[in-house]
Amino acid sequence: MKTPSSSPAEIVREYGPFDGAPNVAGVSYDGSRVWVALGAQLAAIDPQSGETKRTLDHASDAGTAFDGTHLYQIAESRIDKIDPVSGQVLKSIPAPGKGNDSGLTWAEGSLWVGQYRDRKIVQIDPETGAVKRSIESNRFVTGVTWVDGEFWHGTWEGEESELRRIDLTNGAVLERLAMPSGVGVSGLEADGADLFYCGGGESGKLRAVRRPRRAAKGEGA
Amino acid sequence: MDSLIAACARALATGDALGALKRVALREDPPALALRGIAMAQLGELVRARELLRRAAKGFGAHEARSRARCVVAEAEVALALRDLSGAPRKLLAAAATLEAQGDRANALHALLIAARRSLLLGRLEEAAHTLAQVEARAGQGFSPLLMAVAELSSAELAWRSLRTGAARAALDRAALAAQRAGVPALQAEVAQARAALDAPAARRLIAGGQEAALRLDEVEALLVSPALVVDACRHGLSAGAAWQALARRPILFALALELAKAWPGDVAREALIASAFRTRRPDETHRARLRVEVGRLRALIAPLAGIEASARGFVLRPHAAVDVVVILPPIEGEQASLLALLGDGAAWSTSALALALGASQRTVQRALAELEALGRVRAIGQARARRWLAPPLTGFTTALLLPAAMPFA
Repeated sequence: MKTPSSSPAEIVREYGPFDGAPNVAGVSYDGSRVWVALGAQLAAIDPQSGETKRTLDHASDAGTAFDGTHLYQIAESRIDKIDPVSGQVLKSIPAPGKGNDSGLTWAEGSLWVGQYRDRKIVQIDPETGAVKRSIESNRFVTGVTWVDGEFWHGTWEGEESELRRIDLTNGAVLERLAMPSGVGVSGLEADGADLFYCGGGESGKLRAVRRPRRAAKGEGA
Repeated sequence: MDSLIAACARALATGDALGALKRVALREDPPALALRGIAMAQLGELVRARELLRRAAKGFGAHEARSRARCVVAEAEVALALRDLSGAPRKLLAAAATLEAQGDRANALHALLIAARRSLLLGRLEEAAHTLAQVEARAGQGFSPLLMAVAELSSAELAWRSLRTGAARAALDRAALAAQRAGVPALQAEVAQARAALDAPAARRLIAGGQEAALRLDEVEALLVSPALVVDACRHGLSAGAAWQALARRPILFALALELAKAWPGDVAREALIASAFRTRRPDETHRARLRVEVGRLRALIAPLAGIEASARGFVLRPHAAVDVVVILPPIEGEQASLLALLGDGAAWSTSALALALGASQRTVQRALAELEALGRVRAIGQARARRWLAPPLTGFTTALLLPAAMPFA
């Protein structure tokens, strides 16, 4: 199958770096605030003002997800389910990659986990951690997200990063957005409208990237 | 970067090397190997650390030039801490260029500083000066206080070896400030130690009536740039103003110059010159002829600095413009002190060159060097015939293993 050519990603806004955090490891969106995993803390950022509204002291080494009520956070080799109000850990399940995990998103009753150097995306049961299926990618997988029935993941291989829309039935790449040279994607979440939020890894930044519109097929954005 | 790698880097950044190791102990992928290597280095297991970092560098793919370059830099730093200077600097400089091109300024700078320290340890002062100039050209870009302190310490060492005490002192002042800001006690201690070394007596000066006065390095430097004709028995050479004539490889000529300078403004009898330069007490006609030849050679070499005239019973030194003549001797008497004074120039000397300069047998010099080495006053690099001797560095550089703790190996 032919891989489509990439178009440049349009970075709309940059946030950070955030106080005392050299890294942005994961990103999620709860409908109003962007949650970023900063290593030792989870921070909720107001995307309008860029201000940090809330921080939870919690090991957050990779992907972050939100299921409408709870946050899920990869820490070391487990996935913690966290109450965003109290900051309490409600439950922990083992991460499917045993620590090789990078990206995390929640969709339709499943958690989707990106496995960095394994170049895999794994769908698991959020209650038990049982693996439902796994999909191969041909790139290192960082962030993963679902939006409008589309599955997107970030890649970061060496010094190159892309946002890729893939067909989960066969792993085929459907669309590619290339980040500028030297700009990495370490976490990915769509805001449900026209933006992606991307973690910037060791740059310590969070970036908003415009999501391509589907006007051509009459679906609207 | 995946989650355990991130957790491991986080542990390393807080100085928890064991915690970091625990997280990636069983993983063999390149980022894990790299972090294991750094944790091992922080635990003092340098040989194992180097092996892990080498494997990590090999494991990173063609697309991961930056991670590979970081491994090369970390490996070079471990090698430096091991005092293994056998590797070629080419790889390290290539890694520096890669990191620079990738926008990783801090680690590019780090690589250059490792290269400069390596050159200093090898006594390659010109190479060190060249690398440090590259570091200076990047001033302000990616300089953490820690890197700043190391850069200034290296500059101080270079200035010290080149007998620019003012510059060395200024660099040490800047190093002290940076070390304080970095908050690393080991670095602060190194700066203090270097300052003490700078203030220690570096030589003796012969003054009228057979008296001696101790000289600090800056006083030596002041004498060497003064218009006085200085016969320097530490570095084995003559200086007047900016002119310098080395005689380390011409021991007989230097012995003659030293005798003439000691007697100045008086002359020295031929017999006395023959006795000290040729080490014989029963001179004959052949010695007198040889003395004439050697004095002729010396006269030709030092013509820009001074003249040598024949007197009724021997020879007399005639500095141009009738300025003062000063004799500088090693800080204490003896073979070992003379060796240390010679090595004070920071260059790498072979045993035979040292023996030649001191007019002693190689066996004697070897014995003295072995004793000094046991005391940690000199160090050797290379083996057998390639072995070279160097003065110990002004600063140890051993205490601060600067491997960036949270070096991300994404």
